[in-house]
Amino acid sequence: MADVVAARRELEAALGPDAVLADPLALRLYARDASMVEGGCALVALPTTTEQVQSCVRVAAAHGLPVVPRGSGTGLAGAATPIGDSLVVALARMTRIVEVRPEDRLAWVEPGVPNLDLANHLRPMGWTFAPDPSSQQTSSIGGNVNTNAGGPHCLAYGVTSAHVLALDVVMADGSLERVGAEGPEAAGYDLRGVVVGSEGTLGIVTRACVRIVALPPAVRTMLFGFEAVEECAATVSAIIARGVVPAAAEMMDQGIVRAVETFAHAGYPVEAAAVLLVEVDGTEAGVAAQTREVEAAAAEHRASSSRVAADDAERGLLWKGRKSAFGAIAQIAPHYHLHDCVVPRTKLVEVMAGIYAIAERHRLVVTNVFHAGDGNLHPLFSFDRSVPGTLERVLRASDEVVRLCVDVGGALSGEHGIGLEKRDFMPLVFSARDLAAQACVRAAFDPENRMNPRKVLPDGARCGEFALAASGSGDAAADAAGLPEGSWV
Amino acid sequence: MTVELLHPRTRTDVEQTLRAASEAGTRVSIVGGRRHLDKGNPAEVDAELWTTQLDRVIAYEPAEMLVVVQSGMRCGTLAELLAEHGQEWPADAPLDATVGGVIASASSSSRRLTVGPLRDTVVEMELVTGDGRPVTSGARTVKNVTGYDVHRLMTGSLGTLGVITQVALKVRPLPERAVSVVAQGGLEVAAAIAAGVPRTAGVVATPGEVEVRVEGWAGEVDPIVASIGDLAGSVTILDGVPFPRAPWWTWPDPGTIVEAAVAPSRLARVLDGAIRYAALAGVGLAWIGVSSSDDLASTRARVAAAGGIAPAVRGPGGLGETSLAAPDVHRRLRSSFDPAGILAPGRAWGSDATAR
Repeated sequence: MADVVAARRELEAALGPDAVLADPLALRLYARDASMVEGGCALVALPTTTEQVQSCVRVAAAHGLPVVPRGSGTGLAGAATPIGDSLVVALARMTRIVEVRPEDRLAWVEPGVPNLDLANHLRPMGWTFAPDPSSQQTSSIGGNVNTNAGGPHCLAYGVTSAHVLALDVVMADGSLERVGAEGPEAAGYDLRGVVVGSEGTLGIVTRACVRIVALPPAVRTMLFGFEAVEECAATVSAIIARGVVPAAAEMMDQGIVRAVETFAHAGYPVEAAAVLLVEVDGTEAGVAAQTREVEAAAAEHRASSSRVAADDAERGLLWKGRKSAFGAIAQIAPHYHLHDCVVPRTKLVEVMAGIYAIAERHRLVVTNVFHAGDGNLHPLFSFDRSVPGTLERVLRASDEVVRLCVDVGGALSGEHGIGLEKRDFMPLVFSARDLAAQACVRAAFDPENRMNPRKVLPDGARCGEFALAASGSGDAAADAAGLPEGSWV
Repeated sequence: MTVELLHPRTRTDVEQTLRAASEAGTRVSIVGGRRHLDKGNPAEVDAELWTTQLDRVIAYEPAEMLVVVQSGMRCGTLAELLAEHGQEWPADAPLDATVGGVIASASSSSRRLTVGPLRDTVVEMELVTGDGRPVTSGARTVKNVTGYDVHRLMTGSLGTLGVITQVALKVRPLPERAVSVVAQGGLEVAAAIAAGVPRTAGVVATPGEVEVRVEGWAGEVDPIVASIGDLAGSVTILDGVPFPRAPWWTWPDPGTIVEAAVAPSRLARVLDGAIRYAALAGVGLAWIGVSSSDDLASTRARVAAAGGIAPAVRGPGGLGETSLAAPDVHRRLRSSFDPAGILAPGRAWGSDATAR
């Protein structure tokens, strides 16, 4: 059993009393992230150094507390929602940008640095950090690393994994390891590659060496309106068929456009069935060539309106529309449930039609704002959970959306992760053997299952089941049954 | 000692072969085009498993910018297929190398400055573990955060965790125009070009010469070439040549070639005294020819002082002594994925004697 009293005493000695929270209000605040799942925890620690994080992990291990790392808590899948007598290790006080080395195209940062703070720090030097999730004002680099975050610009620049060179990781036994390297290759298996996106289950990142990229010499942002959703989606494929990989290609349906417009006044065409925001970057001549191709693709698909931002101010306004989408939808209803699934780009039209049908069947309002360029959908159900039966309908509809995406060859998550919310869907996309292999990766890092237990993999997936699964007799995922005890929606 | 040759034609063949090998304790080396076998420590084996019969295209949808192929496909064959649709997988490897070999050895493109590491192009993988279990990881989508990326561990694992049988790869549009620009000068000039000229595809420094690849839309190539001229003085423009003109695997009588990897600004320290090299400015990778074991040792000492690694990619030399992050994690991964320890024992980083 967990000895919370002893753990608290030792943590206060190691971190100082003001860095350990145990009052009921604090515990309630840290009992959830931005997902719909709520849990509970025994203690919250707010370390400021790597050594303190090591102390947290060692004290938790000594007294039987599971460890739940937490960044800014903007995660949408419940990876930072604690369960049971856990110690939440919140990294929000580790906010130093340690060094920036343009000559090596890298920067070392602590995990609590907000994404946008890093980008703003780099911009005057002519550099940027490419991943730009919609949560970038708040979400931390540590959280971005752990969810392998995306954002509009990962279409051309790649997801977070492509921008992480090395990580200092406090391992499950409290030791410190550096995975990856400042140089382009590191010795050994690519442990960096599996820690990125591991949702805090393989260790705690206390320092990240990220790749920085030079700001492009030229950028152009365009907005097209379409009378048919199908034409809007088809334009994305047409752009790529013309050899253009845009820096970003974001799609919004009419529901979102109308909500955004009353909020951001970005001049979006509210009569359009869907709009497409496209950005291209590169050299002046390259941007001119790409703009021509993009405009031709939109014309081919009968765009009803076309607008090219004339200057930085107009460009900012067009992006404001996109980036304020999740704030704007509060006008529709008090609560929302946001999905994140990826489908092949050529299936976008089919899947969107399916999502509208699901919403209608469950009498729900659904809007769509998403990264069309990489097939990453974000259908968003708006609802009022105080209306009896509504939440149940939302959950049933969500379940159908996930299955729809998987049926066309998609993945469960493009950038939010699995956490608690989707772990029991894992057997939809992976065999028992695949899951057992993943459990072996986890067990290699954390043999005693101390780090963020019961996240990502369904309860039945175990490394030891690997051999059993090979003979076809063990269905490791069969005993996965709903959310763990101690958590609720 | 004779080495048995195994030629599986299907993934099921691979499963059966490895299951039998694990039971019998037959040590197996996985072989594709034999282009990257020198990377890794010497491993004594009883059998070679050739992936070259696994050479089919499984799916290719140009609009998705994804291609799914079996691992034994030759890079040249894949390049031809993709070029028909105006696309490429930017491996820049020998044409007879296999896709699986390139991935298992984490081989680097000379255009890594723009195309990035090849590991980022692998989005889905089918593999067979050392004891014959089929595993799939990832998905055929360009973005995916669904569980643990086993395929990331396989990439660069030198065939010691399993046999890669099939991969889904992210591909990219071929540029409208590509030229090579040759300037006089050394690493300093190369570094200045990589830092000062936006959107060069690759900058290779060899002793006395800098070779720059410029790719893009027809209208943007000339201005980029002009800005290289502004920085480097007189330049020669070459149309229709491969980049680089003489990749390391074409060097005559190479002896040992190491692939040094350091932070980009430390390349100069590493190349100090080297006679033959090709260094990727802005990336931090350099292929260095060494003439003797003393030369190898001193090159590795310079690389180590710069915080990097220098495995041999051609000739004897192995991976070199280096400290390994989380050796226990390595050991446990090896024993989970290859419990009998039959896959090229000793080849990988660190000693995996414990797995046997």
